[in-house]
Amino acid sequence: MRKILAFASKELYTAFRDRNLALLMFVTPLVLSTIIGLAFGGIGGNGDSGLPDFADIPVAVVNLDEGVDMQEVITLPDQFADLDALPFDPGDLASAFTQAGVGPDQLSQDGTALNFGDQLAAILLSQQVEGTGTTTTEGFDLTELGCSLLDDSESAAPPAVASQGSLEDLLNATAMDDAEQARAAVDNGEFVAAVIVPPAFSKRVMPKFAFDDNLTLRAQSPGDGGTVEVYANNGRPVSARILHSIVSGIVNQFVRAGVALGATLETSANALANGIVEGEIDLGAVDLSALPTSLQNLNAAALEPLGCLITPGANNITAAQPPLEPIQEAPRFARTIVPIGASQAVFFALFTGVFGIHSIYEERKYWTLQRLIVSPTPRIFLLAGKLLGNLVTVFLQILILLAALTLIASVVIGQPTLIWGTNFAAIIIVTLALALCVSGLGVFVVGLAKTPEQVNLFGPMINISLAVVGGAFGFALPDQAARFSLIYWGVDAFMQLANAQTGIAVNLLVLFGQGILLFLVGTWLFKRRLDL
Amino acid sequence: MQLMVEARNLRKTYKRPDGSTIEAVKGVDLEIRQGEIFSLLGPNGAGKTTTISMISGLVEPTGGDATIGGYSITKEPMAAKRLMGFVPQEIALYPELSARQNLAFFGRMYGLGGKELSRRVDELLEFVDLSDRQNDRIDTFSGGMKRRINLAAGLLNSPPLIYMDEPTVGIDPQSRRRILDTVKLLREEQGMTVLYTTHLMEEAQELSDRVGIMDHGEIIAIGTQTELTQQVGEEDRLEFIIGAQEFEESLAEGIQQETAGVTRILYNPPEQVSDDSSESTPSRLTVFAKRGRTALPQLIQNLDAAGVEIQSVAVREPDLEAVFLALTGRALRD
Repeated sequence: MRKILAFASKELYTAFRDRNLALLMFVTPLVLSTIIGLAFGGIGGNGDSGLPDFADIPVAVVNLDEGVDMQEVITLPDQFADLDALPFDPGDLASAFTQAGVGPDQLSQDGTALNFGDQLAAILLSQQVEGTGTTTTEGFDLTELGCSLLDDSESAAPPAVASQGSLEDLLNATAMDDAEQARAAVDNGEFVAAVIVPPAFSKRVMPKFAFDDNLTLRAQSPGDGGTVEVYANNGRPVSARILHSIVSGIVNQFVRAGVALGATLETSANALANGIVEGEIDLGAVDLSALPTSLQNLNAAALEPLGCLITPGANNITAAQPPLEPIQEAPRFARTIVPIGASQAVFFALFTGVFGIHSIYEERKYWTLQRLIVSPTPRIFLLAGKLLGNLVTVFLQILILLAALTLIASVVIGQPTLIWGTNFAAIIIVTLALALCVSGLGVFVVGLAKTPEQVNLFGPMINISLAVVGGAFGFALPDQAARFSLIYWGVDAFMQLANAQTGIAVNLLVLFGQGILLFLVGTWLFKRRLDL
Repeated sequence: MQLMVEARNLRKTYKRPDGSTIEAVKGVDLEIRQGEIFSLLGPNGAGKTTTISMISGLVEPTGGDATIGGYSITKEPMAAKRLMGFVPQEIALYPELSARQNLAFFGRMYGLGGKELSRRVDELLEFVDLSDRQNDRIDTFSGGMKRRINLAAGLLNSPPLIYMDEPTVGIDPQSRRRILDTVKLLREEQGMTVLYTTHLMEEAQELSDRVGIMDHGEIIAIGTQTELTQQVGEEDRLEFIIGAQEFEESLAEGIQQETAGVTRILYNPPEQVSDDSSESTPSRLTVFAKRGRTALPQLIQNLDAAGVEIQSVAVREPDLEAVFLALTGRALRD
């Protein structure tokens, strides 16, 4: 083993000491990647901050909300059958409804389940709301949100957003029925994000109430679920964040409405109960089913007076969004240089892979191979040392290039940016898989070729073909073709890691599988090169 | 005396691209005793390097076997290789590494490590008088310095047997002298057995206890220098450079009969130096005579009478060149 390591160390040392080789291994890919990155990604600044990005943001809206039946909102206790037992003044209840803007005329209207999801979808889609009363959602005024669309750190965006007076101008929303289809469309880049309203959304906004043993009205725990999901496209993080803020703002208004109604019900409960008990209120005359229709006409302005009734955390609902990792928030240069840099790194590593192994011919020419064979070192050790040295060289080359590209990106952007993501273990595993594949290909090519001249001819041909198919030259072939190139699998894995995704199992499987196969076949072919 | 190397019926056959075969070594038998300097002498292409490559385990024999210190090179190669050092004709060093790095690397491949390796590298750098250049890259060295490091690399494992394959090729006389002195020193001070190949008769004569003469893949003579020269008798060689005229065989017979002491006359016609050159070697006459200096006046007179234009003449005592010439009809340099 010491001899294998000694041989591998010598390979590593000679590779990294060779200035010409260093030029090919490091300088060329870095220069190319930087130039292309600057050409397509620009210097500094956030590519997602331009005004065009904040108009007509394509959004999918999926409303799965099942609504809530208002007649089921309050569960009357069995004691209510005996009206003498009711403990509150019914006049207070009427007063409460009036204060809430829900008049007797509205209460008397026929209505079905209250559906806040419909309301949210309509706002986002800039549609008229079906139902009685006035339409308030069309041309939704962004100033009504009462919240900032972006964090202070995303200061590049507000001027652009402020110029958008209406949600209709800001969003280009499309209604969809299936959440999975919507997510897939986001992944494909068709939409910046999908707003998915879950089935239990209204139930969450308007939780049920029930009387306890003391005949006191209590809000029931809404249970899990009901969170609106904003499924964001990683490539347009700022746009996705704007949408997230919009949805959060609207949802919070619904929450305020729900809380306000709940609070009204709670504070009026005693009076209502007493009124019923004393026969002052005819319970049968109160049509609670009309309540949903009235609630559908809620708007931010109408709810504003009740805003003070919000109890933080009572039934607060947040719009969920996958956490954004640094790359997703990074400027366009960082996002441009990731695929370019990764493909260039792998492409140039391919040359190291082939010509590192090819150096066996040099060893033979200069008789160092013969000297090694005459030493008491089994040939298989020499072979293992050569292959290990090449594998480690390629591994370090890719790793160094990734680090250097991170540095370049950070300098160009003006702040430290982890362009490959923060999953360092996965980055190293992908690099190792790629190194195995690249080195295996080198062994295979040199093993297959009969002469050094054939290696010189076919090595670059194979490398360039893989680069073209794998998309390393800036244009992409169809996925079906690109999958034949190890560059595709490597770059795809790095892209996923950069975007904080973890679905690289298939990439690793392909790269490790291909690498091991090439290594085994290549080694079998290559061992003949040690015969003199 | 114990044998260090013993080769039996070593053969090597190579296949040509056209499918035909060429027998580079044709059943060589060889015994080299412990502590002796044995030279394989022969012209280029005689099979010396192939023979030494098989004995060192570099090339697998087509047939036969060789043992090093009793270990078969085909059956126990690692044990056999531990007993030998190897100094190839080429500078088998990494040009981008320093002298010290080269020695350290090859030392590790011989199983050395740590302080032992460091000490051995220091010793060898001093031995070849290159301690002051130990950290310089090999590609900055002169040819002679490279040869010395090349030699040092073959001595890393302090082997009881060392192969040297034409170690003085292409170097200046001063470096050549240093290497020849080193070879002698290795035997004298360390009792090392040396297997030395050369096509230079002078080197073989100066160094060797015994010499094997190879030609066309076979050892055609083997023994001490005295034993070999006795094979061709006590005859001197008179070498004449003559004009470019044809020299007929009948003329040679006539001169041989008319000149007292002359036993044989060989004629070497002029040959083109190379395919792309118009230059050619001069015509040569080699005359074997019992007392060459005594026979010389009459020989010159007879050649002159026969119309042979004599340009120069040299008288040589019996040596390995004469042996080779006598055995093959060709000069070593041919």
